Amino acid sequence: MTSEPVPREQLERILDAAAHAPSAGNRRLQRFVVIDDAATLRVLRMVSPGMLQRPAAAVVICVDVARAVEYGFSATSSGLFIDVGTAAQTMLLAAHALGLGSGPVTSFSKAAVSAVLNLPERWSPEMIVCLGHAAATQPSPVGPHRRRTWRDLTHWGRLDSNANPAAGS
Amino acid sequence: MVLTEDEALELLTYLVTAARTQLDEAAEYGPLRLLTAAQRLAGYVAPRVSPETRSLLEGSIQHVPQTATRSADPDGYAAALDTLCRVFAEHLVARYGIDRGAQ
Repeated sequence: MTSEPVPREQLERILDAAAHAPSAGNRRLQRFVVIDDAATLRVLRMVSPGMLQRPAAAVVICVDVARAVEYGFSATSSGLFIDVGTAAQTMLLAAHALGLGSGPVTSFSKAAVSAVLNLPERWSPEMIVCLGHAAATQPSPVGPHRRRTWRDLTHWGRLDSNANPAAGS
Repeated sequence: MVLTEDEALELLTYLVTAARTQLDEAAEYGPLRLLTAAQRLAGYVAPRVSPETRSLLEGSIQHVPQTATRSADPDGYAAALDTLCRVFAEHLVARYGIDRGAQ
């Protein structure tokens, strides 16, 4: 990503899209923390080994765990993390629609990110969506992976006993 | 030749946090994280070392894709790391003059 800043108006459009992402029971237990100042982004990257890019802005998606527990979820309920995914994917699509580059990061120290951003104890940071303007040259692709089509990933109907689920149909 | 305080802090923080993320992420990310740390260290010190070592630090190690993992091509990945190790070893042999056969 280049060092060109992402305008505040574009960040707000991305966040508005995320606020409309599918959410179990429409409970909206995700919280977003936007970082667009260079100093905090630098430190955020330092504690995020999976952040190979240098974004111009980042949205940290947190789960309000205490609120979830109040609803009767366990703190590790899969639904909470599925909603992190729907919010993140919605942000990625919104960013793409605006002509921005984006990328999700989950390899970061939650403890360190919480300290860096002074998050309340009840919030758990779960994913970082990096945003910026795509650089002209991109890193080399990940090896000679075969790109899987939807056919590789899909079974039609009930699987028979001899089917190899790992291979797809 | 020393790292600046900022460079050292960035690298140390990367290593410490990577130790933690490795508990949750795919085990095959282990080599990737180590290589990223090595690439960053190489980038920091390359301007301050001998021309021979600079050539090493700006060569093969920087050409390993930052997102390469073993599963994409297990044999190729191992071979690439072997090549990298060999290049470093050959540099050490030359630097410390231990190639007795050549004397």
